[in-house]
Amino acid sequence: MALMRQKRLTTLTLVASLVAALTYLAWQQLPMPLPARWSPQEVAILQSLALHNLPPVPPDPGNAVADDPDAAQLGHHLFFDTRLSADGSVACASCHQPQHHFTDQRPVGVGLAVVDRNTMGLAGIAYSPWFFWDGRKDSLWSQALEPLENPLEHGSHRSEVATLIRSDADYRQRYRSVFGPEPDQHSDDRVFANVGKALSAYQRKLMPGATPFDHYVASLDTNNDTDTDTDISPALTGNNLLNDDELAGLRLFISNAQCLNCHNGPLFTNNSFHNTAVLSAPGLLPALGRADGLRRAQADPFNCLGEFSDAGTNDCQELRFARGGDDMIGAQRTPSLRDVSQTAPYMHAGQMSGLAEVIEHYNNAELAMLGHNEAKPLNLRAVEKRQLESFLRSLTAPLATAEHWLAPPATLPHSAQPAAIQSDATLEQRVTQ
Amino acid sequence: MNLSEYLRLTVIIASLALVPATVARGATVDEPLTAVSQPAGLRVSMVSELQPLAINQMHSWVISLHNAQGEPINDAVIQVDGGMPLHNHGLATSPQVTGRLGEGRYHLQGVRFHMNGDWELRLQIQHDSVTYRTTFNLTL
Repeated sequence: MALMRQKRLTTLTLVASLVAALTYLAWQQLPMPLPARWSPQEVAILQSLALHNLPPVPPDPGNAVADDPDAAQLGHHLFFDTRLSADGSVACASCHQPQHHFTDQRPVGVGLAVVDRNTMGLAGIAYSPWFFWDGRKDSLWSQALEPLENPLEHGSHRSEVATLIRSDADYRQRYRSVFGPEPDQHSDDRVFANVGKALSAYQRKLMPGATPFDHYVASLDTNNDTDTDTDISPALTGNNLLNDDELAGLRLFISNAQCLNCHNGPLFTNNSFHNTAVLSAPGLLPALGRADGLRRAQADPFNCLGEFSDAGTNDCQELRFARGGDDMIGAQRTPSLRDVSQTAPYMHAGQMSGLAEVIEHYNNAELAMLGHNEAKPLNLRAVEKRQLESFLRSLTAPLATAEHWLAPPATLPHSAQPAAIQSDATLEQRVTQ
Repeated sequence: MNLSEYLRLTVIIASLALVPATVARGATVDEPLTAVSQPAGLRVSMVSELQPLAINQMHSWVISLHNAQGEPINDAVIQVDGGMPLHNHGLATSPQVTGRLGEGRYHLQGVRFHMNGDWELRLQIQHDSVTYRTTFNLTL
């Protein structure tokens, strides 16, 4: 009798465990039904993210030639020119590769040697007031200068850069047409700064393209342009622009997953600095982030207030009123999420190989090693994490920049172009050194 | 965790989903924010020069100071700080009062909000050897 009771108890326990396990699995894996319609507030958020609401490229008062077509042409040549490096092998385009949305698909960049930061994409870069992961540069033209002299990247020097501009007939002529005097009449520092300004004029043309997400938001507009009544707010589904997983992921993106806090606006970035407890890469010290970056920007002779800038004091509000100090320890710049599926690996030193890993990182929101983590745990279910990833993958489109800007200019000598020299074998050798 | 707890969690998550929807609407703080100082004695107001107020844009505010009798105060020293208490972070920038505009008005430059949500702006005002404090709340 006692044995039978024991058996029944065991069976009951087994059944209960099985039911619990199945319930847990169902909870983790089964999607919730989508609501029929977006609320007006949600529509406003979707509109705030759509590419068609991106304003025109903001002016750069520090760069008088920012929107000069000849400066962009000159910058286009410089961007692809490996002569801007110590051994003639590295151009900007060696790491900022147009075919990979101006990234290099590596955890960290490889120039003359391995650098310690992930190569950032450049589409829409002209909208950011700050540059590099730690914001140590306050303009696109000034940013372009640092890699040229970094021994791990181009390993060149401003005097060598100035010599190239002065000695190459094509560059001399282009320089004169953009900046006025011959390059010989300018100091090395001045020629160097102007090279940065031309590189910036080129990069201001690099723009992300409209993705399935943007087409979806535009479709809400056209279907509902006269609707103000909440009862007839736009339906979630009804066209094939985004599938159910992507729509569920989008709903999470703008609500529970908290992504919108930092990844806001049409470029999915607030271009600000946040500590989200990303661990340092193996073998590297934890990064001080913006706390160090701002100190460097303030001391930089090529900053907005410096003698090479064309800006007035009142144009330099980002630099004058920037926030640094202990609050910014470990804070890195929010990257754009446009084309994010094409720009792996992720984080400032490429610590995370895939989007699932990034989502898991934010879902757990563990304590920071340095400073404090601004993010809080999300408690997303397994299915929700997959839906979020599906949505992020829908933010992908070819760049909206004319094709000819995405390849070396025909007038750049073939021997100076990166593809001719920067073979995979050379790179691998540098990685293993 | 049992099933009823899961269900309760579902309800909590579902209700949380409504929260951002109610605060993320484009804020229009076109009326001046007003407050009385601690300790009492000053009437403080401030209005954004960026209208409608939006995230991710550097902009300025005008702060106005009057005493209890409604007379303007032109010689105060004002420091501004703030942040998002719910997110445990400060302002994205370090705003500063850069000019006195007369009639008790002060120009505050260098404000940029970088998230939607509930923000605090905290003012510390020194006037006649007294330190006054006041806090403004705004939702973007």
